[in-house]
Amino acid sequence: MKKRLNPRHAMLGGAILVFIAAFILSILIAVTIGAVKVSLSDVYRIVLYQLTHIRIGEEKFLTSGTMYEIVWNLRMPRVLMGALIGVLLSTCGVVMQATVQNPLADPYILGISSGASLGATFSIMIGASAVFTGALATMGTAFWAFFGALGAMALVMLLAHMGGGRLTSAKLVLAGCVVGSLCGAFTNMMVYVGKDAENMKTVTYWLLGSMVSARWPRLLLPGIVTAVGLLFFLTQLRTLNTLLLGDEAAITLGVDLSKRRRIYMILTSLLSAIAVCTCGIVGFVGLMIPHIVRGFAGSDHRFLLPLAALSGGIFLVWADVVARILIPNTEIPLGVITSAIGAPIFVYMMVRRSYGFGGKD
Amino acid sequence: MELETKEVSVTLSRKEIVKQASLQVRDNAFVGLLGPNGSGKTTLLKSIYRVLKPSGGVIRIDGADIRTMSHRETAKRMGVVSQFNALSFDFTVEEMVLMGRAPHKRAFDRDTEEDYRIAEDALRRVDMLDFRDRSFQTLSGGEKQRIILARALAQQVEMLILDEPTNHLDIKYQIQIMDVVKSMGVGVLAALHDLNLTLMYCTYVYVLKDGRIIAHGPTEEVITEQLIRDVYEVDCAVARHPVSGKLSVTFFSTL
Repeated sequence: MKKRLNPRHAMLGGAILVFIAAFILSILIAVTIGAVKVSLSDVYRIVLYQLTHIRIGEEKFLTSGTMYEIVWNLRMPRVLMGALIGVLLSTCGVVMQATVQNPLADPYILGISSGASLGATFSIMIGASAVFTGALATMGTAFWAFFGALGAMALVMLLAHMGGGRLTSAKLVLAGCVVGSLCGAFTNMMVYVGKDAENMKTVTYWLLGSMVSARWPRLLLPGIVTAVGLLFFLTQLRTLNTLLLGDEAAITLGVDLSKRRRIYMILTSLLSAIAVCTCGIVGFVGLMIPHIVRGFAGSDHRFLLPLAALSGGIFLVWADVVARILIPNTEIPLGVITSAIGAPIFVYMMVRRSYGFGGKD
Repeated sequence: MELETKEVSVTLSRKEIVKQASLQVRDNAFVGLLGPNGSGKTTLLKSIYRVLKPSGGVIRIDGADIRTMSHRETAKRMGVVSQFNALSFDFTVEEMVLMGRAPHKRAFDRDTEEDYRIAEDALRRVDMLDFRDRSFQTLSGGEKQRIILARALAQQVEMLILDEPTNHLDIKYQIQIMDVVKSMGVGVLAALHDLNLTLMYCTYVYVLKDGRIIAHGPTEEVITEQLIRDVYEVDCAVARHPVSGKLSVTFFSTL
């Protein structure tokens, strides 16, 4: 008897290769698109020179000037940031859904988004310097968003642990809801009593996510974090599969459930907090991409995780392109685009496919 | 492998469900765990397969306290088929059975030909090989139960813990599941509610009532009209069946 060359596995393996190609291609194409017209050859000459130092044309044009600034210092980091955050959020989404065994889970489920919103709103509407002195007073919105996200996460974990017993997914989800509405209440109050219309716009903008602020130095942290996170979870594929079978089955198949769940929770929360403080709250990606990919690739994480990570990157790169160019001279918040594109795809899946979204029929 | 619980107590929401239960499953013995609903069978089993922590006592595998073992270690030696609980995400039947190999795998191990052979073999033994590319969610309750048993077979354990594994099954599959389990030749601890099935397969039984083990011994000696009346509160006749020659229980209506 031999191992069958499972045609489905072969197909999905091929799909991973195709998606890697599409991922790279998306980045290369997205760099050429933008509000300012830059010719295709100019774009690629600049990118080629910066990456490999192969010089085609004048060196001065390739290393300075408006075109160089736009292509290499604005567009490229922005496109890469989109790709990174997309990978990060969809990876977190996949892991979260397995960890809490709940198809509604997304990277923000543990109150991450509401905590980050609270922190960011506080920083924008009230300002850290109005309350704190010293180092805290000088911290920017990103810091407060990160701080808020971690605070909310800690509170959720604490609530879920209260009353003893094992860390169950139901407790985690409920605690996430509680902390979410608590943070939401404070956020709304700050927005309500705040009088500055400009600040209000900044808050809204921030809450809906954007890649505007992407620059090379700001890529470093999300870049490292995404790489490390993805590599770690790629070693956990079998355990993730086992988690989907439910608490009891996972334990009897040798998974130390409480420990794993805690590690995955803390890690995905940290990763999502990094994403949130880098570019605000980009909704829907972490929820939708895992479901769409599961729809054609199945629940096996050996295929699901890499495919979802790549799809998330591709999706966000293109969503950001749309955000940049749909309305001339105006940036549309990324969260609006992701939801506007994502919702119809989701509905299409619900209507057309037999995919059950993890429902129990 | 030898399993032993020594004065194990389990407390759930401040209520002591299992009270100082001591039992023993010797190498390759087929041991039944009897008792009415709510007597603590499932709770005791769950503490053995580590889903619940006992509030007192100790559980040993070959003399070693299971608390000193990793979950992986116990999963390599002890498999579980419980009353089926629903899944939120779907897998194919083959993927499901291959997951029985999980405790034997390290982080980057791939499924080998050996794993596929073991899974195929397990599916054949529960008569489900034709279903291997089917989606697990679309199976009937009985079919699902047989796949879970196949998964436990693929786990290649030395002992099986069964929690009413034949619930909701047609009589044909009740017998098939019990036959497959028996033919494995491993130690078995099974909570059963069907006394006749117990008489057919178990060589030794423990009887739980209100969380305490109130009787144990060779099956035919323990299952008596008196005991059934005491434990299950029904009248019955226990007699040797004229055809099979085995003891069988006939219940009487209270009307």
